[in-house]
Amino acid sequence: MRRLRIIHTESFRLAALFAVLFLGLAGVLMGLTYWIVEGTQRAELERVIDADIGTIENGFRGQGIREAVEVVQQRLGSDATNTDWTGEYIYLADGSGKRAGNLDALDEKVGLMWLTRPYRSPSDGARANGTSLDRGTSGRTLRPANRPDAYGRGTVLGKGVALANDVYLFIGRDTATIVATRTRLIHAFGWVTAITLLLAAAGGSVFSMQFLRRVDAIARTCNAIVAGRFNDRIALRGNDDELDRLAGSINLMLDRISELLENLQQVSSDIAHDLRTPLTHLRKRLEDARDKSTTVDHYSTAVTQAVEDTDELLGIFSALLRISQVDAGTRLAAFHELSLSGLLKELCAMYVPVAEDEGKSLQQRLMDGVTMDGDQELLTQLFSNLIENALRHTPSGTQVVVSVTVLPDAVVTTVADSGPGIPEHERAKVLRRFYRLSGSRSSRGYGLGLSLVNSIANLHGASLVLSDNSPGLKATVSFRRGK
Amino acid sequence: MNLLLIEDDIELADSLAAGFRDHGHSVVHAADGASGLRLAREPEHQVIVLDRMLPGLDGLSLVRQLRAAGVRTPVIFLTTMSGIDDRVNGLEAGAEDYLVKPFAFVELLARIRVLGRRPADQAVTVLRAGDVELDLLQRTLIRAGRAIELLPQEFRLLEYLMRNANRLVTRAMLLENVWDIHFDPQTSVVESHISRLRAKLNADSAVDPIQTIRGAGYKFLAPS
Repeated sequence: MRRLRIIHTESFRLAALFAVLFLGLAGVLMGLTYWIVEGTQRAELERVIDADIGTIENGFRGQGIREAVEVVQQRLGSDATNTDWTGEYIYLADGSGKRAGNLDALDEKVGLMWLTRPYRSPSDGARANGTSLDRGTSGRTLRPANRPDAYGRGTVLGKGVALANDVYLFIGRDTATIVATRTRLIHAFGWVTAITLLLAAAGGSVFSMQFLRRVDAIARTCNAIVAGRFNDRIALRGNDDELDRLAGSINLMLDRISELLENLQQVSSDIAHDLRTPLTHLRKRLEDARDKSTTVDHYSTAVTQAVEDTDELLGIFSALLRISQVDAGTRLAAFHELSLSGLLKELCAMYVPVAEDEGKSLQQRLMDGVTMDGDQELLTQLFSNLIENALRHTPSGTQVVVSVTVLPDAVVTTVADSGPGIPEHERAKVLRRFYRLSGSRSSRGYGLGLSLVNSIANLHGASLVLSDNSPGLKATVSFRRGK
Repeated sequence: MNLLLIEDDIELADSLAAGFRDHGHSVVHAADGASGLRLAREPEHQVIVLDRMLPGLDGLSLVRQLRAAGVRTPVIFLTTMSGIDDRVNGLEAGAEDYLVKPFAFVELLARIRVLGRRPADQAVTVLRAGDVELDLLQRTLIRAGRAIELLPQEFRLLEYLMRNANRLVTRAMLLENVWDIHFDPQTSVVESHISRLRAKLNADSAVDPIQTIRGAGYKFLAPS
């Protein structure tokens, strides 16, 4: 099964494709080599044959047929132990028939021709003609000579010439050299093919196995998540290859999904648990009204309070929904360029009378013309919450300062007050939903304001940092400046 | 006022219709989108109160078809969808106002009365009520012949009150229309600004034209 899967991987297919391409290229090279080498060798043979013909022809022209016969016999050697035979075949004839040579009979044609090598058993041949077919130029045993070669041609290339009207000369050479070269080339090509295929299969398998291992790892992680292990992530190799980048994207997606899931669970449990308290109060109040009220005034007061309790519940509900909506990130689509300076100026103008009525002061230290990409309504709510926090949880006489500063890489906004502040160990906790400082239980609020601020800041890629304003609390929201 | 109420929640519809009639309005009720759209095309309705989620034809499509057909009757959406997008979508479809359920009846009533005012109001450049004169082009306020300086937000507040003179405007309406605030502030923003405006407006006058309606909002009183 695994072997089959390897063959079906993309990397194995790629290896196979490359092997085929390489083999094709090798074949073309081999063919070219063969063509050139054989051409050269054949030209060389023809040159040698022409030279031999020249020698015998010279003898014949000078001193007639007798001299020619002598030259032929010299060339072939008469000694049975002649070891210098170079695979030469000669046939010399005149009107009366064969006069010399190691060929018995020949169709007397003029020009280049191929002959089948006359068969002699090596021992017979050696004895009869003083030649040995064992001793080809290659030093290898020649093939049985009466068989045509692969091309269906003879194995002897020769040339017939008419030296005179009735004098015919044929000189041929064994083509064993050419055949041997061809055989070697074919063998070499065979080896190249075999090695290429072996390497391609091995390499393809190794790559495919690695590929499969990593794909299996991704699939295992995905299955684990399907099975409920939401915190599993795909291990990265860190070499930033295509699978690593894919795995990285999948991990990011999983992070986002588990964030949303956590958010959903958080909201569900918030609704389940934290809405119970105000509901309990409401129920108690209505029960008391039913059981204890005796006058219309009592009832009226109880009902008014019950309506207020309901409104508070609805307020919590809206705030929770707003936080989850912000956390879901769907508002990103509504981002547009807005004037942060203008937004803060309007908010300050809106809250100055509130501050003054409570004996506090609200000052602005705003740089003009600061713009950013964001959601106008949510940013308004963010700064409104921070300013209201500073106004609501501080005593009379407190100074609140709203500022915006542009740094090279960030737009820094702060809302700082000179009130009692938040103890350091509580600062992280106040960002949690429904967390309220012990002293502030009595004042109005659900403990959701800063959670919402935090969510809106996160949506804008910003961070909310609470720090000591000594004295007081300083809330800093730093927006990264767009590149 | 003649109201058309398109709402599939019969219990809510009955209660709303009874409330409207108690306040002197006449009400026609439709319980689904298709019959609602048919009734809405009739010209006698002054304000349409429209549920966003209806069987058959939903509220959003209904408003779009109504506006495409050239019917300009003001529409206020009632909805359980409180997302920012939901409100924006509702207003973009052609509705004039948007109220999230559950709501106080007095809030709905106040918004309907504001929607039902004469559209000619929009073309006015000077608002006059008694001895108060608000010039919308010059951005000046004159009371009994004396110029009074207002901050921009105070000016917008007074303008909204005077445009809707003799009608109740709620806190939420002021926040939305004067400050573009669509959430419930935890501080007394509206009250503080009203008290500033009152102090400036009434500095030399014994008559306070801004009436506080307890538990509901404010009303700018203009002598008829």
